[in-house]
Amino acid sequence: MKRPLGTIAGARSGDKGGDANLGVWVRSDAAYDWLNGFLTVGRLKELLPEAGEVSRYELPNLRALNFVLHGLLGEGVASSTRFDPQAKALGEWLRSREVEIPEELL
Amino acid sequence: MIRIGNASGFYGDRLSAVREQLEGGDLDVLTGDYLAELTMLILGRDRVKDSSLGYAKTFLRQMEDCLALALDKGVKIVVNAGGLNPEGLARKLDAKVGYVTGDDLKERFPDALTANAYLGAWEIAECLRQGAQVVVTGRVTDASLVVGPAAARFGWKRDDWDRLAGATVAGHVLECGTQATGGNYSFFTEIDVTRPGFPIAEVDEDGSCLITKHDGTGGAVTVDTVTAQLLYEIGAPEYLGPDVTTHFDTIRLAAHERGVRISGVRGSPPPDTLKVCLNALGGFRNSTTFVLTGLDVEAKAELVRRQLHDAIGTEGLTWTLARTDQADAATEEQASALLHVTIKTTDPERAKGFSRAAIELALASYPGFHVTAPPGDGTPFGVYRAAYVPRDEVSAKAVLL
Repeated sequence: MKRPLGTIAGARSGDKGGDANLGVWVRSDAAYDWLNGFLTVGRLKELLPEAGEVSRYELPNLRALNFVLHGLLGEGVASSTRFDPQAKALGEWLRSREVEIPEELL
Repeated sequence: MIRIGNASGFYGDRLSAVREQLEGGDLDVLTGDYLAELTMLILGRDRVKDSSLGYAKTFLRQMEDCLALALDKGVKIVVNAGGLNPEGLARKLDAKVGYVTGDDLKERFPDALTANAYLGAWEIAECLRQGAQVVVTGRVTDASLVVGPAAARFGWKRDDWDRLAGATVAGHVLECGTQATGGNYSFFTEIDVTRPGFPIAEVDEDGSCLITKHDGTGGAVTVDTVTAQLLYEIGAPEYLGPDVTTHFDTIRLAAHERGVRISGVRGSPPPDTLKVCLNALGGFRNSTTFVLTGLDVEAKAELVRRQLHDAIGTEGLTWTLARTDQADAATEEQASALLHVTIKTTDPERAKGFSRAAIELALASYPGFHVTAPPGDGTPFGVYRAAYVPRDEVSAKAVLL
């Protein structure tokens, strides 16, 4: 079923200098198995076309993935001309993207 | 067990939080984080204007209101509100005050407006061991505000990696205040976050902890709200700090009737270098937003771009057209798109000239010309960068007044 990712996933994002971080987590082991297979770097870049170089880390103990979007914020919050210079809402943008979610997880 | 509360996640957080935490229930230590990368720049500019400033002024107001209450209840206060001038802030407080110094590396980085190493927990612990009622620091890692008091209470050693890592996780959960208790939380519709309470960590001798909050306060402490905060501003699972490397992939969370238990955290030795937060003045910026309503949005944007380029040239201009408009809209606002333009320049006169040029278009541009707010004279902006220095070249010191 095509649904917003945020139907089953939470997210929190923020800034570290010129990089943004974006943590995504889900609330069951089955959902994490799906998320971990689904949300690759390539998929993230499709969903967030503004992303450039991306690092991806797995935190199965938190049922979470953490992404670092390198250079998204230029030279940091004070100099960035981005609409959201501290990447506070990057996670909510990702959650609003519609993706194919297995029906049993909804 | 030591009960450590937090009453601030940034410079500008809820002013009444100190009183709420002191009056809401029992605490041993109340901490507050006032320093973000951007805050160091703001304080740096304060210090240029008046060298007696450079600390978080709101903390002083909180202490005018609540220091006597804290002392009366025997609650120790540990904050990084000292910013660029911990001694200056410490001398304004009427209590037994310790301060931490040695983070300022401006002499080593003369081109920077501010240059501060991220110090750790041990100087905070030293101040507390010497009987400080209030500890004021400059740039320490946010988590150190929790690690220091726990290390002092339990007599932890510098190679108690797992204990230090456990307390670091507690500190990371607390450092953004109400972001741990339901603030800015994806599933906010499931809880009442009208006025979330500030978080508390009950840290045990082994470094594990219970994240909770005072009874009767708003928000919630659940596995999900704590997970959200654990994911804030992190990179690789090996979380580097000045005192310990904390392995975020070993954290175990469990629901508890009063909040969330955190256990299982493993630590390993920290890197040989300390991170340094550098802020330099990058130049001047100015911006405005043109409102483009109705038909021909792309052509309207193209006209105003061409006009502004013709008036002041293209150098340093960044344009973004946000197509917030809808066709055949029932309200004027929904019929409107927003064209943002920002200038960044080393020349303050050019930043000022940008305003004039934008406003001079008012009767000479696209139909329906208006802006969301008239641009000002422009403001200086900072450029942040991190550097790393060998830890033995930084001499952190605990000083008791």
